[in-house]
Amino acid sequence: MLVGIPLESKHSHAVVPKDCADEMSSYLVLVGQSRCKRSFAEIFNYFAPRLRSYALKQMGNEALAMELVQDTMSNVWQKSHLFNAEKGAPSTWIFTIARNIRFDMLRKQRNRKEDICADDLWPVLCEQTADVNEVSLDEQITLQQLGIIFEDLPKKQREVIEAIYIEGKSQQEVADQFEIPLGTVKSRTRLALQRLKEMLKDND
Amino acid sequence: MINFHPELAHLRAFAEGTCPTNLALMISAHVDLCPRCQAITMQAQEEAGLEVFSGKLNAADPQPDFNDMMLQIMQTPDVEAPVLQPVNNMLELDGKHFALPRALARYTHKTGNWSRLVGKLWQAPVDLGQDGQANFIYMEKGGKVPEHTHKGTEFTLVIDGQFSDGLADYDCGDFTIMDSTKKHMPFSEADEGCLVFTMVDKPLHFTSGLARLLNPFSQLFFK
Repeated sequence: MLVGIPLESKHSHAVVPKDCADEMSSYLVLVGQSRCKRSFAEIFNYFAPRLRSYALKQMGNEALAMELVQDTMSNVWQKSHLFNAEKGAPSTWIFTIARNIRFDMLRKQRNRKEDICADDLWPVLCEQTADVNEVSLDEQITLQQLGIIFEDLPKKQREVIEAIYIEGKSQQEVADQFEIPLGTVKSRTRLALQRLKEMLKDND
Repeated sequence: MINFHPELAHLRAFAEGTCPTNLALMISAHVDLCPRCQAITMQAQEEAGLEVFSGKLNAADPQPDFNDMMLQIMQTPDVEAPVLQPVNNMLELDGKHFALPRALARYTHKTGNWSRLVGKLWQAPVDLGQDGQANFIYMEKGGKVPEHTHKGTEFTLVIDGQFSDGLADYDCGDFTIMDSTKKHMPFSEADEGCLVFTMVDKPLHFTSGLARLLNPFSQLFFK
């Protein structure tokens, strides 16, 4: 059993990973080839405490830091055969594993804000279909429909909507153009939008 | 030819694990397609690894007893020398097949059905779990998204084909971030059309023509 293996082995104490990279590389290769526990202990004892210190700084929470260490070192144990010394140092490989696990932890932690659904993000362009095969709608139909419905608005409301939404004028400019009070422009806009909304609903 | 890369600060933040996770996914997918950014992130990861694992442990920061953890890890049963799982990294639309970058391949089974949008556009939602939602958008040749700006931020990565938006021309692998300061009208004239992977955190805001009328109704069309 490995109970007797000291946590910090003598020679991995003060070296920077550049200096011990070759040594750690060969341990990793041994773990990958033969599940060598002694080699893994060398790797573990060097990397785990340093990873914890870093994670604690980053995450500010002992439990999360230890979770990161545990998951990262488990991955090192399980995936050591994927380590390729020619592609980089053990410190790069292990840091990258830890980095990816940290991203996954952040994903899980994050409280889902409000659920954003695609339909809100891609408003109106979307003709909802459950299945590709059901698609038969003319691709222009929504905009065309809107155009037709728009024509049904009372003239005074349509003028205001046209000026604001199509010509891009401000409500004040529209008030000046039609020589009506600003409040009237606002109420016509509101009424028109309400009306469009109802007509669109009926159209469904 | 890739001309639009993530900015250097974002690449570094991704490499170091300090950027938001949704941006991380976009950059990771870009890096899969872009040797230049792959080299930059590898370099940054190497530096970060050296920094994290260098030097003596701080004596003022007493370490817990790791022995149990270590023994427990070594007792986990061996996973069979993992045959690399054949990941389905192909996305299919209407008989067309698109190869996805590695970072996105894990989401093929989280990708919903294609919906047809107006203007020769197709959309398939991708459930990113806690990261919310992303979309694959496919523009057929001649397809266009009405001119819009953004209330929030829009990330776009070109997966296949080319498109333009009145600001620039984009090719496979190009990555852009659009926000409320940018107004654009994406369209594709490429024969094979264009597939992009995109994330927006707030609804698009249409800025031209009748499409502007759609803005107040964004909620209404979909229940």
